[in-house]
Amino acid sequence: MDFKELVAGRHEYAKAWKARKGGKVIGWFETYFPEELAYAAGLLPVRILAEHEPDIISDKWIYAACYPVKDMANQLLLGRMDYIDGFVNTEGCQWMFNVYEVATNNAPQLFKHYLFLPDYTESKSSKDVLRSELDVLKTRFEEWLGVTITDEALDNAIEVYNKNRTLLRTICELRRADKPVILGSEFMNLLLADQVMDKAEMNVILEQFLAELQAREGRDMVRLMLIGSETWDSKLEELIESLGGNVVIDELENGTNYFWNNIYPQEDRLMAISLRYLGRNNHPVKDSNWRRRPQRIFELAEDYFVDGAIIAKQIYCHPHGTDNYEVWKILRERNIQYHYFERDMTVPKEETQLHLEAFMNMLRAGITRLVGWHNKIEI
Amino acid sequence: MKKGQIWETRPLECWDLAKEIRRSYDGAIAGTDKVLGQGMTSWTLDWASAFPAIRVVEDNPVGAMMAAQDEPFARNCRLASEVRGWGREICGYHNTCWGAQFLGNTADGKPFPLRNFTVPFPCVCDSHIKRGQQARDFKPIARWTNDFTMYIGERDEKREEAMLDHRNYNTLKLLNEMEIVFGQKLDDEILFEMAKSYGSINDMRSEIAYYMTFKPTPLTVKDLYSFFQLRPSPKMGPDVLSNFWKSLRDEVKFRVENKIAAVGTERFRWLEAHPPPWHFLKYYRYMERYGAVCLGSQYSNLRELIFAEDGSYSVRSFTEPSYEAGMELSTREDLVRFMTTPDARSPRHWKIEEYIEPDKLNTMMRIYNCDGALLGIWRAGVGCTLLRKEQAMRLREDGYSVMVYEGAQPGDRVDLDEKRMLEQLDTWMESLGYQMLDDE
Ligand code: SF4
Ligand code: SF4
Repeated sequence: MDFKELVAGRHEYAKAWKARKGGKVIGWFETYFPEELAYAAGLLPVRILAEHEPDIISDKWIYAACYPVKDMANQLLLGRMDYIDGFVNTEGCQWMFNVYEVATNNAPQLFKHYLFLPDYTESKSSKDVLRSELDVLKTRFEEWLGVTITDEALDNAIEVYNKNRTLLRTICELRRADKPVILGSEFMNLLLADQVMDKAEMNVILEQFLAELQAREGRDMVRLMLIGSETWDSKLEELIESLGGNVVIDELENGTNYFWNNIYPQEDRLMAISLRYLGRNNHPVKDSNWRRRPQRIFELAEDYFVDGAIIAKQIYCHPHGTDNYEVWKILRERNIQYHYFERDMTVPKEETQLHLEAFMNMLRAGITRLVGWHNKIEI
Repeated sequence: MKKGQIWETRPLECWDLAKEIRRSYDGAIAGTDKVLGQGMTSWTLDWASAFPAIRVVEDNPVGAMMAAQDEPFARNCRLASEVRGWGREICGYHNTCWGAQFLGNTADGKPFPLRNFTVPFPCVCDSHIKRGQQARDFKPIARWTNDFTMYIGERDEKREEAMLDHRNYNTLKLLNEMEIVFGQKLDDEILFEMAKSYGSINDMRSEIAYYMTFKPTPLTVKDLYSFFQLRPSPKMGPDVLSNFWKSLRDEVKFRVENKIAAVGTERFRWLEAHPPPWHFLKYYRYMERYGAVCLGSQYSNLRELIFAEDGSYSVRSFTEPSYEAGMELSTREDLVRFMTTPDARSPRHWKIEEYIEPDKLNTMMRIYNCDGALLGIWRAGVGCTLLRKEQAMRLREDGYSVMVYEGAQPGDRVDLDEKRMLEQLDTWMESLGYQMLDDE
């Protein structure tokens, strides 16, 4: 399965889905968006992916945002996603809110909704606020679409999404192997496709892909972890692979954070959803009380046996700019080598390659399994 | 008489009292026996002053002051933050203040006052959400958190119920736990007293905002910034602040009735949306050389007025109706509800307004008879730059002249090219047909 092609064909896919199902498409920005609710309403939830094209419009609307946000605005204003029928902004990074505002102000006929999701995710009262907010969104969807979101529809959505997350987790586990059968770029494209496709259809594809993977030969490469701002393509992973490295795990918003936790079904479906989104691994803006990200990064690094970490922060990404300090600190304390750099959507090849090459050469010297000296010694 | 003078002008008589209140407060907080916290208490009631020895300071004014007073020191602070990983796009207030924490001293060489706890400052700005962490990362201290509950669109009281419960729960938890953690008793009586005078001070501030709609304006934004910083010192008694605002209100009223201007050359009135570059307030004086006066901004108090179609006005305070609306005040829970107010999207300060009343600056331009708007856009200030470009477009659509200038952040001197800004102001004024009064 060529997931990269699926991602490239996402606009056609969405249009075809609408024609096939007669349904509507809802665009989302933050991975905190409770897709289950939209799915239960019969919507196709689609993540707005940033894609760089010469940007002639966004400067008029937005100043000093991270480049993906500007690229998203550019895409939306150029009409690249004109099949979208509405947008939901889930409270998170403010720049995402800005692109949501630009998109909806320029297309006032579309459905729009602001979902409040507490930044203080750990308070005793947070789950009730989010539950109430989910109820508001449910009613808004019902009014907009003229449907009733039944318990059965919610149960089905929860089941489909839990199955999807379980499949993603299963595939991700294969990356722990000494010789992973999947490259970081392929896994990233798989995730991006997952975020723009109908989950039931994606589940079928994932099941087939999982069977395919069993037959694959793995490769031993420099094992890297990717940390930092969320991503919208696989350019960086591909560059790393061209240099003999493989991203075997990540701590990204649209990476492991997206699928790690399942919903534990309970009678109160909305509460079950609320608890899942508050209990998931956090984005820096939601990790505002206890700092849980650094410890999680360390645990993933250990579990996936990484040789080193790459922290790629988007220029102007203030949430990750605030977390750097603690992330660097824990990596240093635990002796995990890392390379930090800032990027935009384009990943300038020469300069990035030079830095990554130097970093990986430094790592290689300490990676005995790649040198293979232990096999060569004759006793 | 000054060249170009149109109106009679004279200094405000209230200045002396303002300075006295300021001195007294500075003296009262100077003690070293305080448990020092990072954050902000409440827009409604400063609950910290009801504890015997707890003080809460915000890093925003601290950072802004450092940058304004000692540029080389502020740069060292930023460097100290940046080498530890803080991004360059993080609000300059924070980078500077916490950089000093890393350096271990303040600009005058005294040890940096380390915080003993952090409390939230409810705000939509991401920098606010994250900023207690800088102090907590540095050493393990007590922490409390809360949310700014937000949504877009018409007020929906049903929707707000859970939000208010959430905010009230966390505020009450904070106050109760603080008593336990620091072994200090919160004096609820002091808060009841503050709650009683709260409404009247707010009303007076709003009345003052109303008087500023008249030509010539009796006050400028610079006066407002000085007066808003005033806090009551326990030594001066509970009424000192309301007496101050009352005498300011009376004086301003008198000035309007007698056409006594804050700036005698007033002939161009402009508004802003946001805090100014604090180290470079000199541009206000510079603009006065054109007879141009800044009345204030969404950030200062001008947004408190709501005008009806017949021209009558009512007061929309920082916090929505609370005490005046007959709220019962007999328990600590009531006090907490009073602080939160019945509006889940309060305090309705400028950033909140930009989310839910995007046309507000246009309305203010009409109310205050303004001729133009000056808007800053900041590379490292997400909360104060977000939506600004759209705001400028909306103002232009209504026929207002808008000048936009760039900087790093109001408390960060790095990017602001002062000379360029003044030249831009010259061009702006000249393009509107104004010459400097000295040249005319
Ligand atoms: S979290 Fe960072 S990368 Fe994501 S939208 Fe915000 S600024 Fe951009
Ligand atoms: S609104 Fe601007 S100045 Fe205020 S904390 Fe946020 S970034 Fe800093």
